[in-house]
Amino acid sequence: MLPADWYTRYVPESYASDLQVGFSREFCAGLARKGLLVPHWPREFGGQEGDDWEHFILGEEMKAAGEPRGPQYMNINWIGPALMRYGSNAQRALHLPAIAAGETIWCQGFSEPSAGTDLASLRTKAVRAGDHYILNGSKIWTSYARTADWCFLLARTGARRKDISVLLVPMDSPGIEVKSFPGLVKDGHLNEVFFTDVKVPVENRLGDEDAGWEVITYALSFERVGVPRYHAGRKALDLAVDQLKAEGRFADPIVRARAGQIAAKFEAARMLTYLVVDQRVKRQPATADGNVSRVAALEAVVEMMDFLAEYVPDCLAGGSPLLEDYYRINTPAGVVAGTYELQLDLIAQRGLGLPRS
Amino acid sequence: MDFDFDNDQQALVDAVYRILDRHREIPQTARLRFHHHDAELQQLLRSGGFLDAGRQIDALAGALVAYEVAKAVPVVEAAVSNLVIPHLFPDEMIEAPVALIWGGREKPYRNLPFCRTALVDLGADAGLLALDGAIAEVDTIYGYPFGCVADPAYWKSMRVLPGKGPLLRHWGRTSLAIEWAGAARAAVDFIIEYVKQREIFGRPEGTFQAVQHRLAQCHQIAEGARWLAFRAAWSGSEEDADLAACYAQQQTSRVMFDLHQFNGAMGVTTENSLHFWTYRLRALQSELGGSTSAALALCDRYWGAAPSSKPESEALPLPAQAGA
Repeated sequence: MLPADWYTRYVPESYASDLQVGFSREFCAGLARKGLLVPHWPREFGGQEGDDWEHFILGEEMKAAGEPRGPQYMNINWIGPALMRYGSNAQRALHLPAIAAGETIWCQGFSEPSAGTDLASLRTKAVRAGDHYILNGSKIWTSYARTADWCFLLARTGARRKDISVLLVPMDSPGIEVKSFPGLVKDGHLNEVFFTDVKVPVENRLGDEDAGWEVITYALSFERVGVPRYHAGRKALDLAVDQLKAEGRFADPIVRARAGQIAAKFEAARMLTYLVVDQRVKRQPATADGNVSRVAALEAVVEMMDFLAEYVPDCLAGGSPLLEDYYRINTPAGVVAGTYELQLDLIAQRGLGLPRS
Repeated sequence: MDFDFDNDQQALVDAVYRILDRHREIPQTARLRFHHHDAELQQLLRSGGFLDAGRQIDALAGALVAYEVAKAVPVVEAAVSNLVIPHLFPDEMIEAPVALIWGGREKPYRNLPFCRTALVDLGADAGLLALDGAIAEVDTIYGYPFGCVADPAYWKSMRVLPGKGPLLRHWGRTSLAIEWAGAARAAVDFIIEYVKQREIFGRPEGTFQAVQHRLAQCHQIAEGARWLAFRAAWSGSEEDADLAACYAQQQTSRVMFDLHQFNGAMGVTTENSLHFWTYRLRALQSELGGSTSAALALCDRYWGAAPSSKPESEALPLPAQAGA
């Protein structure tokens, strides 16, 4: 299903590039036709009642192949499940079939210039005006915003700190402007989205008004173990070793030992993620184990990036577009979907029962 | 992959726990030392069949027993008996407890002073040594008793097991990874409770984010080590054994440093319990060549042997022939 020049033309552009996002519409539709896009979803929403293991195995292979699903991995990982749990019948009917068919692109409107890790301090405001909200504010770091059909957006709807609601906003609504800017992570990820008097129908609110925090907590519990970084990292390690061998530089026992130690760290992250998958399959409530798995993956990723910088430094200077893509896509790995430090907070307080300061 | 215990596994763990719970306390005099072998507990586990669960049930059952035992303050041997012996001697009962000898013959090894048998890594081959005296105990701050085979003539009685060296290292790495994971879990749990109680600057130490974050990292490491070690026992794969040992052994310094930091000066006294676990981690750090050796084995497996490197068996400093 992948084009012949997938690894030479598409992957180096990154999965957030317009090129790959465009391809994802074709690729995901094909996956859907083969029953491989949402096999773990209930049949009523377009799935096949499979379990989360199938979803994770597919996710591992997709990530290792450069994520040809593009942004649609988000649809499958957490936007869909949030819609299933909190969506109205009309919202489910509108969005879930489109997601299950691989036809729609979403972006995530969470972070703002002054609200990232402390998400509850966000300022984008939605004011009720009859049967719709008037939305004003801005979002930042909004991957895929240029190409998205919909935005899964958090907006302040009340006076209290956590009076936040989730709005499902069509990205072609009048009053939305997207500006892109360059950065360490490749193009397509770094966008700022401005909302000026955007009218959003009340029926586009997901869940109750001011109850968005619950929705987002639920959704992020999926997102934290949604990206199999351990698997992609292990593939990148293979790629780096291939290059070192080709250059006759993989006989050094120090380099070899380091590669083996990093492989072990990725495997630890894999096991900790599989623990969470097992809990999900058994429909057990989310615990701090999800945070633990994310921390483990991040620690391995950081070591892998270090390995590249020390032993395959030319990968960031034109020597290996695929390793450059791996490195650059992981530059914000400790920041996205809740920072590394936030994960540690959650492990300490929820997992270990340590008191808050 | 099912991470929950089934009923039989839970019953086994509960039974071990009940025995260990009755031996939680160690004599006050033992608090003045760096380790304490509980001979009565060792005998109880032996007579109860808990050192043979790896043979009677399966390797994972043996690992569950060894993991629980590794969390106890007193030292008892349950890992080599449960995880290595059944694979080297599937049809033969070997006198437990069992120690591992994996480097030079004159070196001290853990648990030798109280073990009845030692398995010897000879490179390509393995050796079996009955221990009936002649062990010279050495002073050590490690959390296990250490001793040397004092009489060189002893080696002449060693039974050589041709071609069994790789199998010994495979299950030896599984067993040490299990022990590492159990000791790490106990040490982390001990410090979690400590920082909840200990007050500094007018509030519990565990409220400080600098402490919380590093303790959360230690918890992650202990859990990663646990699941990799259990996977190695469950799968019986040599690769998984190398992964488990490699991961655990490389994390030793980090866990030890942070846990001792949070325990403060109390952690360097023998009266305090922390060292009983952390200095077991230190002892296990180097076993069977340590993380580097396991990593090189992984490297050979994943990416092929280095052109100039010798096979792992040849790199070991032991002579290949018994009595040589």
